[in-house]
Amino acid sequence: MTAFLDSILTGLALGAVYALVALGFVVIFKASGVLNFAHGSLLLFGGYLVAVLHDDLGFAGALAVSVLATAALAGALDRLLLQRGDPDPKAAHVQTIVTIGVDIVLLTDLSRRIGGDLLTLGDPWGDSVTRLGSVTVADSRLAAIAVSALAIGAVFALFRYTSWGLSLRAAAEDTEAAALMGVRLSRVRMLAWCLAGALAALAAVFLAAFPAPGLERTTGQIALKAFPAAILGGLTSPPGALAGSLLIGLTEALAAGYQSELHVLGEGFGDVAPYAVMVAVLLVRPTGLFGARGAARV
Amino acid sequence: MSERIPKGAVVLLAALLLCAPPFYLDAFWLRIGLFSMAAAIGAVGLGLLTGTAGQLSLGHAFFLAVGAYGYTWLAGEPGPGLPTGLAALLAVRLAGAAGGLFSPVAGRVRGIYLGVATLALVFLGHHVLLTADSVTGGFNGRSVPPLSLGGFSFGDDGGGLVVLGVPFGAEERLWFLGLALLAGTWWTARGLLRGRPGRALAALRDSETAAAVMGVDVARHRASAFVVSSMYAGLAGVLLALAFRRVVPDYFGLALSVDYLAMIVIGGLGSVAGAAAGAVFVTALPLLMTRYADQLPLVTAPGTTEGGVGPTEAARYLYGAAIVLVLLYAPDGLTGITRRVRTRLRPAAPAPAPATRPSASAVRTKEPTP
Amino acid sequence: MSLRPTTATAPGRLAAAPPELRVQDVTVRFAGLTALDTVSFTVAPGSVHALIGPNGAGKSTCFNVLSGLYRPVSGQVRLGDETLTGLAPHRIAALGVARTFQNIVTTEGTVADNLMLGRHVLSRAGFAATALRLPRAVREQRAHLARAREIAELTGLAARFETPVALLSYGDRKRVELARALCLEPRVLLLDEPVAGMNGAERARTAEVIHTVRAELGLSVLLVEHDMGLVMRLADEVTVLDFGRCIAHGTPDEVRRHPEVLRAYLGTPGEETAGEDTTAKSTTAKSTTAQGTALEEVTDSEGDSV
Repeated sequence: MTAFLDSILTGLALGAVYALVALGFVVIFKASGVLNFAHGSLLLFGGYLVAVLHDDLGFAGALAVSVLATAALAGALDRLLLQRGDPDPKAAHVQTIVTIGVDIVLLTDLSRRIGGDLLTLGDPWGDSVTRLGSVTVADSRLAAIAVSALAIGAVFALFRYTSWGLSLRAAAEDTEAAALMGVRLSRVRMLAWCLAGALAALAAVFLAAFPAPGLERTTGQIALKAFPAAILGGLTSPPGALAGSLLIGLTEALAAGYQSELHVLGEGFGDVAPYAVMVAVLLVRPTGLFGARGAARV
Repeated sequence: MSERIPKGAVVLLAALLLCAPPFYLDAFWLRIGLFSMAAAIGAVGLGLLTGTAGQLSLGHAFFLAVGAYGYTWLAGEPGPGLPTGLAALLAVRLAGAAGGLFSPVAGRVRGIYLGVATLALVFLGHHVLLTADSVTGGFNGRSVPPLSLGGFSFGDDGGGLVVLGVPFGAEERLWFLGLALLAGTWWTARGLLRGRPGRALAALRDSETAAAVMGVDVARHRASAFVVSSMYAGLAGVLLALAFRRVVPDYFGLALSVDYLAMIVIGGLGSVAGAAAGAVFVTALPLLMTRYADQLPLVTAPGTTEGGVGPTEAARYLYGAAIVLVLLYAPDGLTGITRRVRTRLRPAAPAPAPATRPSASAVRTKEPTP
Repeated sequence: MSLRPTTATAPGRLAAAPPELRVQDVTVRFAGLTALDTVSFTVAPGSVHALIGPNGAGKSTCFNVLSGLYRPVSGQVRLGDETLTGLAPHRIAALGVARTFQNIVTTEGTVADNLMLGRHVLSRAGFAATALRLPRAVREQRAHLARAREIAELTGLAARFETPVALLSYGDRKRVELARALCLEPRVLLLDEPVAGMNGAERARTAEVIHTVRAELGLSVLLVEHDMGLVMRLADEVTVLDFGRCIAHGTPDEVRRHPEVLRAYLGTPGEETAGEDTTAKSTTAKSTTAQGTALEEVTDSEGDSV
């Protein structure tokens, strides 16, 4: 029972962090139709900044700078490289590949800087733990759940109550109509990228915090697990991304927690279990749990 | 030029030029050529799926792995130890069957969703490659038995085969095998694109509704496109395995899938020639960069660690930047550039015959002399 | 130029009399909104049947039910002995029901590519046969290409056969859609606003094609059109929809005098216009009657799709 609760808590914490990343995918996809392959390196960029800056600025200062800088980088990436005229519907396809190129450059540079090191982020939780009944949880995990919940709540509020959120939803429904109604698409888009970048930087902190050993050059690959999370939710639905992330986090934690029972599936099955779940869901619902059913447009 | 020179002559000339390198270039260049040919075969397959049918796939590396490992296992020990030609054929069928097993997803899941769904294939596949030691050799992989057809071995058999004064080792022999397979790929893929299935897939991409109303069975065609694309990937996998002489799981990761996606987009979606040109670009560029990077400014020699940029890293930077730049300035890829140059040169002429485009660009990339 | 497929060269559908198309009590709802409410009508074999009605009356929805894109919550559509409701769109196409769209839906590529797509259900070659260019696949393609060229000539597209569709004028692209539907050798042809956006000459030409096709192939045509002149000239029977209900049914003359119809179109009881309709029979596509023009104006704004 303790093992089960332990897995559940771990899964929730993981899911909360995945949600930060998956929400970024969804926001970007809604705003620009692009699947952002550079998300992993944006995340790594955010984490790297915190790692270098926390000695001088303190953790909170470093985090603030990192979140802003990552947001700016994501926004600039969209504005300077992706939004270059061409409103051709195929452009989203091409822009998706451009993000692959950007990812390669960014990742190469960050990997070169990080090298084989493990960077500490100087977060305030350290390796302290809290006892909740029979289970022991790392404080960083509780913090991950709390902070993610706050951040996700804030994003949902942005969606609902700001003119940006309204514009974004309008643009996702019908780009042309939104433009006619005076929505400044390029700005809406860029802000969406900024938001996604900020969320990624935030996620980096928790991915590098205890019990993870620290930030390493492969930390960005975690973004790949947020892909299934975003797809499970339907790729256009923020609540879907949240649900998908929790599902993926729990799957991964349970598969890892019950590793010995699942040993027929091979060592490290926990890492790939999310993908198996994704395929299973897509078989039943081809556009994800919360995706639009895609009514025929004639 | 296609008006003045008959098409047959152009094809013949291209064939001759493509047959020349083994007589003039060393193994380094031949290997680049071989990897490019294998990549071109795989890219043509992905081009059919993504460019023509509009379905994104990030699972191409998985099907390459099925082809490569399928051949290795079927032809080797442990394994049934089949005649190598048969093993190669079966490996391609195996990749097709793997694609068919995925068809419940591939037939129903659309566009970018399929792209992410196929991520699962790469990760689950990699997991299986690592775990199923008895078949795959686990982390260290397996060595690949050389292909031999009718007593002729495409490996270093020590037989000392000499053609026109040039000793023919594995690279030289495989070069011609690669050429033959690439020609077959080219011929079949163009047939498909211009025939009934190609039109149905293009219709599906442009409007699923219109295609369905015109009688195209949407799910079946999507699934078939996926199977065909997997078979080309399987063939590419067999050729890659033969060229590498060893298969390891880590090669068949997500990065490989992404490379293939980059190939077809850089080459220009929807054309066989574009896929081939993109394959050469993406395959050859990093290899050339790594080899010649030390002659570039700001690059330190390998081994010196601190501060500088090593040649491998320089190659990655340039590769990434090249993807971005090509697509920024030519969103329709290399074929788009060629087309624009041609129309500028001959404003009155109609659209160029596509058959001549690929060979020209493929040859150009390989022409530099040693 | 004969319209009948030269069966020696191209396998077509034998032009027997088309079966009757019966729409029986079809109801379609979207999220509580009733788009079609127990709609019934019958397209008699070999007739031209027009479906008219103001904006949002449910005409396009009806087409989407007929071609299998929507499933009605109740009611059924029958083509002869076959039940179309519940069949996938491609099966319905295979039974010989072809359609065009209100807003043009062509694929990239040339006119020939588009027309050959229309031959899809009539040809067999699969992936393997086409990839390997087996003789039968090559032969089949050649035969169908010849037939597609005939249909291009008939529809006035012969000179543009090899032209990419993207380079064609609006009217020509609209005609490509019509030609592509004809390439299916349909028994029932569903035309969703075939002349919308065309100029007078183009309209007349398309009207002529529809007329000829019906006369020579004896197929049934179901037509949604706002050009009342064209409807009056071509249609044998007219069904009028308003807010998803059938409000009138009859010959063009009967329908245009129907008080419900006038109310639906003009929003007022239209006694004063009834007398002007005697000239209806002599109208051409270009010069419509005052009433026709009014109907057209009122409904011209309908452009959105379902």
